[in-house]
Amino acid sequence: MTRSKAGLTAVAMTAVVGLVLTGCAQQSNQGVPGGDAAAQPAVGFPETEDFPETPGKPGGVFRLGISEPTAIDPFNAQESEGIGVTEALFTGLVQVEPDGEVVPGAATDWSANADCSVWTFNLAQGATFHNGEPVDAASFKRGWERAAAPESGSEVSYHLDVIQGYTEYQAGTATEITGVNATNPAQIAVTLAKPDCEYELRTNHPVYSPVPTVVGATTDTAYTDAPIGNGPFKLDGPWQHDTGIKLTRFDEYSVGEPAYLDGAEFTILPSANAAQLEYDGFVNGQFDWARMPPTLLKLARETYEPQGKWLSKIANGMNYLTVAGTKAPMDSADARKAVSLAIDRNAIVQGVLQGSTTPASSLVPSLFPDAYQKDVCGACRYDVEEAKRLAASAGLVPGTELSFQFNTGGGHEEWTAAVRQQLETNLGLKVTYTGLPFTDLLNNQGAPEATGIFRSAWGADYPTPGNFLIPLLATSSIGATPTEPVTGNNYGRYSNPEFDEFVLKASASQDEAERNELWKQAEKIAIGDDQALIPLWARQQFRLVATDKFANTNMNFNENPTLETITLK
Amino acid sequence: MGKFILRRAAQALLVIIGATLLVFLANFAFGDPFGSTGDRQVPPAIAAANRAAFGLDQPLPLQYLTYMGNLFTGDLGVDYNQNRPVIELLIETVPNTARLALVAIVIDIFIGVTAGIIAAVKRYSFADVLVTVVSTLAIGIPTFVIGFVLVATLSGVGPFPTVPRSFTVEVPWYTEVLLPAFALAIVDAAFVARLMRGSMLEVLRSDYIRTARAKGLSERKVIGKHALRNSMIPVITYIGVSLGGLLGGAIITEGIFQYPGVGYLLFRAIGANNAPVITAVVIFSVLAIVVLSLIVDILYAYLDPRIRLS
Repeated sequence: MTRSKAGLTAVAMTAVVGLVLTGCAQQSNQGVPGGDAAAQPAVGFPETEDFPETPGKPGGVFRLGISEPTAIDPFNAQESEGIGVTEALFTGLVQVEPDGEVVPGAATDWSANADCSVWTFNLAQGATFHNGEPVDAASFKRGWERAAAPESGSEVSYHLDVIQGYTEYQAGTATEITGVNATNPAQIAVTLAKPDCEYELRTNHPVYSPVPTVVGATTDTAYTDAPIGNGPFKLDGPWQHDTGIKLTRFDEYSVGEPAYLDGAEFTILPSANAAQLEYDGFVNGQFDWARMPPTLLKLARETYEPQGKWLSKIANGMNYLTVAGTKAPMDSADARKAVSLAIDRNAIVQGVLQGSTTPASSLVPSLFPDAYQKDVCGACRYDVEEAKRLAASAGLVPGTELSFQFNTGGGHEEWTAAVRQQLETNLGLKVTYTGLPFTDLLNNQGAPEATGIFRSAWGADYPTPGNFLIPLLATSSIGATPTEPVTGNNYGRYSNPEFDEFVLKASASQDEAERNELWKQAEKIAIGDDQALIPLWARQQFRLVATDKFANTNMNFNENPTLETITLK
Repeated sequence: MGKFILRRAAQALLVIIGATLLVFLANFAFGDPFGSTGDRQVPPAIAAANRAAFGLDQPLPLQYLTYMGNLFTGDLGVDYNQNRPVIELLIETVPNTARLALVAIVIDIFIGVTAGIIAAVKRYSFADVLVTVVSTLAIGIPTFVIGFVLVATLSGVGPFPTVPRSFTVEVPWYTEVLLPAFALAIVDAAFVARLMRGSMLEVLRSDYIRTARAKGLSERKVIGKHALRNSMIPVITYIGVSLGGLLGGAIITEGIFQYPGVGYLLFRAIGANNAPVITAVVIFSVLAIVVLSLIVDILYAYLDPRIRLS
């Protein structure tokens, strides 16, 4: 081959290869489909049915991957991963079924006095810790005081703050939490500083776990890596950091049915790509329960739903926009409703989020069927005409500056950009769009001079609508004067005495039906009338489950597998 | 020789100080390791207490001096996440990385040197073109792509362990090390092959080879005894520096294969803003490279008597 011919061939080959590769390039980000009033309602990925109850037989080891927990000792267990291990190791006073029903745990029954300020829990007899020690009232008091102690370094002891005497004990001016009476070993009586007729739900949080007399100090890493609990599983060797946690069945578990599984293995994966590794591990058969990265949701569903291995559940949380409602330009309900109406949730859910959630039309999620009000947020639909009309009446003229902040590193860049584009196109607003680290976002939201809207998400701690309405919208949840930064979770500084009255009455009501009615009315005021915040879409969780090997694999309230009921098929 | 080593040691010290200073500044820019992140809402009082416990509330120059002081007494500090001494983490992971580096070097010497010799000896033949093209491809394709392809196709196949896997699965070190070593070795082997080829071609042109052939030595002896030794020098230099780099931990490759070495430790520490671990690993890498280049330089002088250490 002569030189020129060789050169020519080389050029030709490169050109061909280049053209072929360009043709293969996929159109990945087409942007958000234009708003269309006649768009079909977004369905998202529908929830799957709970797996049916199958009689269990002993055996099997359930394996899953998690990212490194903050803590597994109940004094500090906080995120889903850590709680997943802690709730297997410890059983609190009550337990919550996947459908939200509250059933006895270490307490056989409980009751409150007339105004719900004193709660009495009768404890099951004969229950023991993994080391054989009996579980009694003192064990609970010991655990609560251990977490609440000022030197404990607990980041979750605030769940105990409704108990009388907590503040003094935390400040170091008392030697015990006076509101907890454990003199009778078979009964624990709690006096609350603030009456709460749903207090038993709080005790479901792991910080309320009992601890044995041999408990180590919270700074003793040898103990906190291997805490001794009273739950259906015990540790098989200490927590191997960045490697894994191994659990094995506690055969003498008497508080409920002993578990069927022989054990569980939590492999710890690096947090940077944990979701991807969990998915890969499920695909190659190493994990029996896995999350997946958002980009693979569609593929995972298409592959595994036909095999019955797909789990989809609307969870106990909500994605929304916090609105700085005490400052211009968002200081009128009409302005907030205008912004809400200008956002095409369907298009974003289908286009950007690939159908992986459901647009929200309320703050209280559908997880609470008795308090859920579909469409209580009248402005949570897409109506550009109405939005323009309300904007005009609120003085939100085209060209108004609106600040929109969100947190980086959470994969929110695309959808927040879509929201910004919609607000600019539909209302002509000038949106200052900023991405910040999460801590900075929180600081900005709470600052006295905060304006505009902020991307937010709420995960409830207790299975009650009150845990949405009160922390996010009650005046007491601001915890600051207008010139101070917000210390609670009501970043929008929403304050409506009528709303406060309704939620106060609801917390003080012993009758569940009446309570739900009051929650509904409160939500109607805050969201329906005042649009205190802008709900966007539900918090929906998806998992892949090895249902060919295991049965009874449901997702519990904390978004973890129900290890105590899982059994081999 | 003694003066030479002393001078190099002083230079190494300067490099370490410079590197730690840079890493310190970088860690400072990373942000607060104890703040609220996503799901984790840390009450401000606790976050402040944690920061104080690790001395993060002090001014940066003071933090740096404290760290350097501790470093010279052998105290590498305690990691932020779990309060474990960093030195323990390094002790756990360095042997793994050393094994990986050595296996990778062995593979790459074997493949690279053989390919290079063949290419040089049979110049312009099909083998030569093949080696040149393949080595160019191997250098062009990023290591992590090779890593991903290997994981996707070969993990779980035959002796190779599945990646990712449940932590309780026992995997002997010699099977665990194979795939990542191979991924690392491919690029190095390509470089070695090209170096070997170039160096050998040059050597084959020299007078003493002509003399050897004239003496009637077999071609095998000419290549194997005379040409090879003389052409190895640039290759050894390259391998030495490469070994240093590998000992520092191939972050991405170890991450892809979840191989429990120093690179994986760094990968996880960066994700968690775990400053003491990051700084310690960087210092270790710098040391590894510096020490190995020193050894290579000394070796150079022994291999080629014409070179004098200046």
